[in-house]
Amino acid sequence: MNAGSGISPRKPSLTLLWISLAALGASLLVLRSAFAAQADPTGEATRSLWTTVGIWSAALLTLGILSFLFRDNPFYKVCESILIGVSAAYWMVNAFWTSLVPNLFAKLAPSLVRDSMLPSLTESPTPSADFALACVPLLLGIMLLCRLLPSGGWIASWPIAMVIGVTAGLKLVSAIESDFMAQIGATIQPLIASDAGGGFAFWPTIGAWVGVIGVLSVLTYFFFSVEHKGAVGKTARLGIWFLMITFGGAFGLTVMGRITLLAQRFEFLFRDWMGIS
Amino acid sequence: MNRALLARLNDLDRRWIFLAMGLSIAIPILLKLRFPEYPGPMARATFDAVEAVPEGSPVLISFDYDPASAAELQPMASALVHHCASRKLKMVFMALWPLGKQQADRTIESVLKQFHPGYDYGTDYVQLGYQSGNEGVIKLMATNVPEQYKTDAAGTATSTIPLLASVRDLSAFKLVASVSAGYPGAKEWVQYGNGPMPDAFSIVGGSTGVQVSQLLPYYPKQMEGMLVAVKGAAEYEMLVEEKYPIDKPDVIGQGRVRMGPQLVAHLLMIALIVLGNVAMIASRNRGGAR
Amino acid sequence: MLQRTVPIIILCASGAIMVLAYFVTAAVSWSETVNVWFNVLAAVAFVLGAGNLLKVNLEKISSQRPGWGYSAITLAAFFFMLVVGLFKVGAIPDSKYPGVRLAGNYETPASPYGWTYEYVFSPLTSTMFAMLAFYVASAAFRAFRAKNTESILLLATAFIILLAQTAAGMFLTGWIPEDSAFAFLRLDWMKVAITEHIQTAGMRAITIGIALGVAATSLRLILGVDKSYLPRGGGAA
Repeated sequence: MNAGSGISPRKPSLTLLWISLAALGASLLVLRSAFAAQADPTGEATRSLWTTVGIWSAALLTLGILSFLFRDNPFYKVCESILIGVSAAYWMVNAFWTSLVPNLFAKLAPSLVRDSMLPSLTESPTPSADFALACVPLLLGIMLLCRLLPSGGWIASWPIAMVIGVTAGLKLVSAIESDFMAQIGATIQPLIASDAGGGFAFWPTIGAWVGVIGVLSVLTYFFFSVEHKGAVGKTARLGIWFLMITFGGAFGLTVMGRITLLAQRFEFLFRDWMGIS
Repeated sequence: MNRALLARLNDLDRRWIFLAMGLSIAIPILLKLRFPEYPGPMARATFDAVEAVPEGSPVLISFDYDPASAAELQPMASALVHHCASRKLKMVFMALWPLGKQQADRTIESVLKQFHPGYDYGTDYVQLGYQSGNEGVIKLMATNVPEQYKTDAAGTATSTIPLLASVRDLSAFKLVASVSAGYPGAKEWVQYGNGPMPDAFSIVGGSTGVQVSQLLPYYPKQMEGMLVAVKGAAEYEMLVEEKYPIDKPDVIGQGRVRMGPQLVAHLLMIALIVLGNVAMIASRNRGGAR
Repeated sequence: MLQRTVPIIILCASGAIMVLAYFVTAAVSWSETVNVWFNVLAAVAFVLGAGNLLKVNLEKISSQRPGWGYSAITLAAFFFMLVVGLFKVGAIPDSKYPGVRLAGNYETPASPYGWTYEYVFSPLTSTMFAMLAFYVASAAFRAFRAKNTESILLLATAFIILLAQTAAGMFLTGWIPEDSAFAFLRLDWMKVAITEHIQTAGMRAITIGIALGVAATSLRLILGVDKSYLPRGGGAA
């Protein structure tokens, strides 16, 4: 018995496989015919039917995932498997139509792409140069896919090196510019704040001090080259307190996010599926 | 504390906690609990940043999230698009997340086409869609938008779209808004978009509760406004609706609707933490007494 | 040579071009070209991911490992979505170019691809993340213990944020006048003070630390000091 999957390995799997394949095949045929019927201007009813089928499907899949809360079960596993398959294909299809077609294939074979996929594609003034430049990512892309080969996976290290190189180049400057220099700039503020009338502003002054002390103490905590003893130790301890408050705040906001997601699923079940408005 | 009760608390099946959490969210939804919201400084700053953009200026709205975070972010996106359209700003939609394009489509359908039917595609708004490359997309757009987006989402050459005719790089936009759920998102817009040209345009961000902490250091210098989780969405909705009323709470108002369950669920969370700690202290005292 | 030296050269060159473009205007067009290649490779990575999923699941099915039936379902769902997406099955024809079938809109819920996105993918992925609400609650009960000063600070902050983020904050302390000397006792005031000052300071220090780490790692990679990305046992140069 396979405890992990929730169903026994051989026969039930085979049954499940045939049932799923049959269901998928049938749904493919029905979907095909249903969407073909939409060409008919009077196909409003069909559309409505498929919206209903869709809402039921979404509701059952939602309940399937939620069923995991009770315990691991085949219904949940089926939903999880569908999600993995559908999401991988979705991202691949999306990447194909939005990036590969206009940014790669349109340069390699502009006429073919214009005639069959992107009829409004304008002609490039430099088609030969575009073709030559597009050959590089084509080659690197093919090399990247070599990672799937049992041997010769090292071929993929060329495109991977390029991806790492570009990322490192981008991050090097942006990290120093936006996350180092700009953050230091934002920390160095007047420690005596004034209000609109030019008078002393108590709380903004406290806020400015808290900001500076907080940044310095947390940085001291992260500075491991010096032993955390004496004044350094005390500052580092203050830094830990700042971090704890930071994490406490982050926790509160995270809880809020998770609850919102669940609220939306319940809204769907109550309003769209059960019709409780 | 009673020994039997303590033992039950320590051995509590977590499914009871799941049930309590489920009920704390389901009941307020069914009872339609609504509470007043009071806009905070971050939501006001976001509102003011959009208000400061001159009428008719182009703005870029990046949908950097997917359905998994739509519960938090879609209310902000809807309110933001309604706000921009009410101010007659020209909108360019794009996505750094593969599924963000669908979210943008949904917003165009439910907000723009429904409440601002005078908005014409190509002259008043454009949907560029998704492009792979994460921060690479932003970096390329910072210097060359047409090179990154040769076509819009429908496959029309961007060079033929009037709204994009004068757009060479990101500085063509007066405001960049990223409604983001993580990487790549608002943080990358600040790092790679705003970093090289800090004075060219303003950035505002809508963020999930999980991501907020990462964005705090950029507010308010590098990011003029920030909407924090669904609370930020609810506050921003209030500000937008106050000035640009709309009679469709299903579309603009989802943030406030979702604040109802928050109250009960947050109280439950606090109760659970307190209960867990009471059980710990009682166990410790019992152990010490023994 | 091919396995070690060439990748190092590619990495150094591509990284250097991206850095150079910040300082030399003439290098901007090179960086744009490299950036386009990078973005195309990012798209190919999705194909690689899908290929990997295919490989892993086919292996599982062929060896009939426990739970292989689920792998079959994964593949069936994958191929269904792939076929209807790549071939734009049932796509709404482009009004300007009705003859070009592959120019049609395949993402509306009126097409199988859009329908599957709307009623299968979207609810599944939303619910998967929504489940975390239950686990956060369970973790709050079992793991959040006020054992020392640090954990008390964390819990107290979490309580303030949890209350202040909802109407409870205004209900409990909203009666304190905003312009009074005791306004700092208002939960909404405390929330702003925590997020905009203390939490910002903490995150700012973390951001500075990460920036230094990122810059150092990037430099090590571009200068060819860090070669950990090279395949292990890839042979001598």
